Amino acid sequence: MNSQSSVVSHQLVPEKQRAGQIATKDTLIGKRIPKLDAPEKATGLARYIEDMKLPRMLYGKILFADRPHARIVNIDTAAAKAMRGVRAVITAADIELVPFGFGQDNTALKKDKVTCTRDEVAAVAADTPQIAAEAVSRIRVTYEDLPVVASTDEALAEGAPVIHAKTPDNVPFQFDYSHGDIEQGIRESDVILEDTYTLGRQAHCCLGTSGIIAHFEADGRLTLHSLTQVPFLYKNDLARIIGVAPEKIRIIQPPIGGGFGSKLDIHPFEPICVFLARATSRPVRLCFTREEEFRATPTRQPMVIHLKSGVRKDGTFTFRDVRMLLDNGGRTSWGATTPWISMRTFSSLYRVPHVRQHVDVVYTNNIYACAFRGYGNPQATFALESQVDSLAEVLDMDPLELRLKNAQKPGETTGQGMVLGTCGLADCLETATQHAGWGKKRRNVKTSKRQNVAAPNQPDRTSFSRDPMGSASTDLSSHRHIAHGIGMASLFHVGGGAKIYRSDGCGTILKLDDFGGVTVMTGSSEIGQGSETVIAQIVAEELGLSISNIRVINNDTELTPWDVGVHASRTTFIAGNSALRAARDARRKLINAAAARLKRKPDDLDLRGGKVVERSSGEPLESIGKIIRGLHFGRTKNELVMTTDFYEPPSTAPDKEQKGDISACYAFGTHVAEVEVDLETGVVKVLRICATHDVGRVINRLGIEGQVEGGIAQGIGYCLAEELKVEGGRVCNPSFTDYKLFSTTDLPELDVSFVETNDPAGPHGAKGIGESPLIPVAPAIANAIYNATGVRMTELPLTPERVLAKLKEAREKETISD
Amino acid sequence: MSLVELAFVVNGESVTLSVPPFATLLDVLRDDLELTGTKYGCGEGECGACSVILDGKVVNACLVPALECEGAEVLTIEGLAFGGKMHPLQQAFVDHGAIQCGFCTPGMIMAAYALLEANPSPTEEDVKRGLEGNLCRCTGYRKIVDAVLSFAGGGA
Amino acid sequence: MPLEQSDRYLAPHTVQEATQDAAGQGAAVLAGGTDLLPRWSKGVVKQPDALVSLKDVEGINGIARINGEVRVGALATMSEIASDPIIRDAAPVLANAAGRIACPQVRNRATIGGNLCNASPAADTAVPLILLDAVLDIAAWNGSSLTAREVPVTKFFKGPGATVLAPGELLTHIRFKPLAAGAYAAWDKFGTRPAMEIAVASVGVAVRLDGGTIVHARVGYGSVAPVPMRGRKAEVALMDRPLSAETIERCQAAARDEIAPITDVRASEGYRRDVVAVMLGRLLRNVES
Repeated sequence: MNSQSSVVSHQLVPEKQRAGQIATKDTLIGKRIPKLDAPEKATGLARYIEDMKLPRMLYGKILFADRPHARIVNIDTAAAKAMRGVRAVITAADIELVPFGFGQDNTALKKDKVTCTRDEVAAVAADTPQIAAEAVSRIRVTYEDLPVVASTDEALAEGAPVIHAKTPDNVPFQFDYSHGDIEQGIRESDVILEDTYTLGRQAHCCLGTSGIIAHFEADGRLTLHSLTQVPFLYKNDLARIIGVAPEKIRIIQPPIGGGFGSKLDIHPFEPICVFLARATSRPVRLCFTREEEFRATPTRQPMVIHLKSGVRKDGTFTFRDVRMLLDNGGRTSWGATTPWISMRTFSSLYRVPHVRQHVDVVYTNNIYACAFRGYGNPQATFALESQVDSLAEVLDMDPLELRLKNAQKPGETTGQGMVLGTCGLADCLETATQHAGWGKKRRNVKTSKRQNVAAPNQPDRTSFSRDPMGSASTDLSSHRHIAHGIGMASLFHVGGGAKIYRSDGCGTILKLDDFGGVTVMTGSSEIGQGSETVIAQIVAEELGLSISNIRVINNDTELTPWDVGVHASRTTFIAGNSALRAARDARRKLINAAAARLKRKPDDLDLRGGKVVERSSGEPLESIGKIIRGLHFGRTKNELVMTTDFYEPPSTAPDKEQKGDISACYAFGTHVAEVEVDLETGVVKVLRICATHDVGRVINRLGIEGQVEGGIAQGIGYCLAEELKVEGGRVCNPSFTDYKLFSTTDLPELDVSFVETNDPAGPHGAKGIGESPLIPVAPAIANAIYNATGVRMTELPLTPERVLAKLKEAREKETISD
Repeated sequence: MSLVELAFVVNGESVTLSVPPFATLLDVLRDDLELTGTKYGCGEGECGACSVILDGKVVNACLVPALECEGAEVLTIEGLAFGGKMHPLQQAFVDHGAIQCGFCTPGMIMAAYALLEANPSPTEEDVKRGLEGNLCRCTGYRKIVDAVLSFAGGGA
Repeated sequence: MPLEQSDRYLAPHTVQEATQDAAGQGAAVLAGGTDLLPRWSKGVVKQPDALVSLKDVEGINGIARINGEVRVGALATMSEIASDPIIRDAAPVLANAAGRIACPQVRNRATIGGNLCNASPAADTAVPLILLDAVLDIAAWNGSSLTAREVPVTKFFKGPGATVLAPGELLTHIRFKPLAAGAYAAWDKFGTRPAMEIAVASVGVAVRLDGGTIVHARVGYGSVAPVPMRGRKAEVALMDRPLSAETIERCQAAARDEIAPITDVRASEGYRRDVVAVMLGRLLRNVES
């Protein structure tokens, strides 16, 4: 690929000119704005958790069970405690055990029994990390091993060992959803397909490993330097676990080396660190090694999805019947709740009159799962969009046509009660396929004998012989082994927050100094996604100031107002709206003051380039700083320009049937993937991905491209390579050596474009984007593989070995049928 | 434990300190010299977050025993910017949106620096191969490759 | 790192001093360190009592042509080997393999001596050296003087992580004859991604044809047996035959038969057999007739 062909392209859908606002004014909205914190990160000056030291700080280390299922008989800490430099050794006996997590089945340290290898058994605080590690290795735990439940099948078998006493059937949760009448749907169908899809464990692989610093102040207040994505919920939940009143906990978030959902829950290492700080009366830092990060942090939720769908001859979808089986592991984090999001894709990506979903969440002695970018949606979309292609094949329809026929449209209310104000799905389908050259490149699988085999341009185009040294180029037997294919998939996701808690809001405090410098205190956290830059842009735009005038404070619960957290792709929409409204108040104050001072009507004035200007001509009248100082040091009245806002989106929490308009708007998108499949080795190479997203409106073009490109990369990894393998409850590949993350050399050509539907609820029309780009990648690639080879891959990741096995199976079948 | 004296040059400054025989260059940079811009990402040379320049060549600081650096010159991310002004390569990373969470950034920039020192006009393929040992979880690499290419094309 | 050990750091300047130091109780020899350091820090292997650094040892680095042979110092790094004009001319197959190890950061530190002495079944330089019939020079201190012996690369490996080196013995050089005019040698490794890959399997082949008949054949494999191995049966399948589709198939069958791969977290035994056969076929089909 040369650099020219890989330049990211952008489609600009004409924007509606909004009355009298933009015409004569330079706007920041939609521009390419470098991230505000990029300079400190580029220079190495940003201090991440592992870079921070407090005076007299100790180093914490955890002893993990390292066995999947066992009774704890005895813990002998004497040898560890005797070591020089060891300041505390704690076990469950030393702390109050308060259950936490969605299943209330976890505690900071485990008392009687361990139910997965990552269970925390004891912890040490010592003068150096080396001493702490050595001390942990000297703790002797006597276990009585119990039979290991290594799979959901084993957990559901008759007489299976009980993992948690309060759940004798090993099924802690079941979820059901339905709309319409499945039986009627079946009667109305001309074609019914039934398939099973298996989704593996993807690890977040944040480049910065997990960590925390706990520090008690003299008055008993607790300061935590924490990487949480949800500081305000965290504070509340943690308070209960550690026995400190929530109002006495301060959360400060250092720069975070990647989140992606991994920091959405309280993890046991966090209260453990607090207990160590309490036991030693000293600050304690606890940071994971990479191996611990792989072994002892949750993954994406693995699941098996059994999907049955019907369609009429004309391509109208009739029903969808979904059964999901989740391996919950030995404890419960957010992974168990991911079906709540999965069901929205099954119910609402397309118009389907009859939908039913049943979910069984099953305890095993495996490691457990939490939130991960997409939250159950990548799994659902893989199943659904794979099967949509299968339906299209049976109907002999172009997959694009079938999708367009059933795509949601603006103004519809979905079966699950979600009201689609704006909906750019059809535009996304058309745009992505147009960019990809769908009509030209797509070949009918049936008429091409199921394998689009072409002679490769070079003998070795996959991972073979990148370096031509030592290779000759003559192809002895015109051996053909590369098949080429193209496939697509779409997505549906929340775009305006998700009302899971009673409030889905975000607060902003905005203050201007005497010179036009603005401090924006926002509740929403920055985890690398660029929210601080979007917020600064929105404020600068409203106040007619340069982006360099805006400082965003977003990492200290003592300063920032409440926010529900960074999740559900909500920050641009919710925090952006809150910042916009706070800025509008400040703007009104400034305009009114300027109008009084300049004896003009407020409507005739505008704020541009740091000045109050005449709206019609743009003629500068006064500097904004002067207006502020006029208010502050006024002869008669003195006031500062300070505003606050709390924005609560106009969404509703789902009812008991899981129905309701959970988000203020919804996001859509389509990806088209082009692949090459090596028919002899099973290696899949992604050549190009054309991604089109309905983002409402682009606020920061640089940032949104980064979100899409990064999401695609994670999606390719999820699809082709990434899997944390667990056998007999044990993690088999806890390192980057054996857990494959893609690198620069795997980067395909990307074509990223946006459909701007200008959602009336969004700040400047914007919707959320964070999770969407990952969601449709895997099914688009799987569909392209099918187009290339006629082989349907149903188990992620699609490793070369799995692809080759399916190719062989297909060849054997063909031989038999010949 | 016996400590051994180590004298070397870091970012142009002479440094002398005593280190244990098994200390890595990463340990010394981060813990002794407080140059925390060089990151710990994996400790086994698989992620590139600790990339620094050792005598003109890019290396993973986690794989270099500190004592092997006796008399050597080391350049870390902190040595690139000067007088409050970013190195043009750092500026290119900022301007191209090549930074999200930023954890891989210092190592990525040092690897790119070494690549450009050896090959001032790399092709896209050269850049990809030059950065193949540096993992990034946020950006998908496109903007990183673009930042390096833009600099190569006369960005300095 | 463990705390109680009486660790020492030694930096000898000559081969003699190095062999003397290396013979000491609990000593470990350090070249590039890229393989050893992570294993020590993760506790996979115990840290030695004494570390013998080779960095200052004279005469065991560099690459030269001597008496019609190529002599590679054990301290030559993968980067040096990949770009060295002598190697690229005399044995491009070795330069290719060295250039595909891990990433630039590792190639700048990892040495060919370290790659061989760690005795990984996946050692990327071992297979090209098998194709080249390379010989390894080994020095040792016998108590009063420096001794030397040479070992063919095929005899050097004893098992995963084990070689014929006795304590105190030091690999100093690797020697081989340049590829004969008209000979063809190629190597490839297979992994699931291009960069940073530890080979799921690797294959090398060297052949020379005379009048359409194969008159010289060498085949080598990596990651499919406890040690990097020479493919003698595959060689027999090639010798004295034309390089035809039929010969290639016979050679592939012989390869499948003679390798002894295992199933591990990276790949299954059967898959390794498949990709070895595929790679061998592709390498052979690329031979210019």
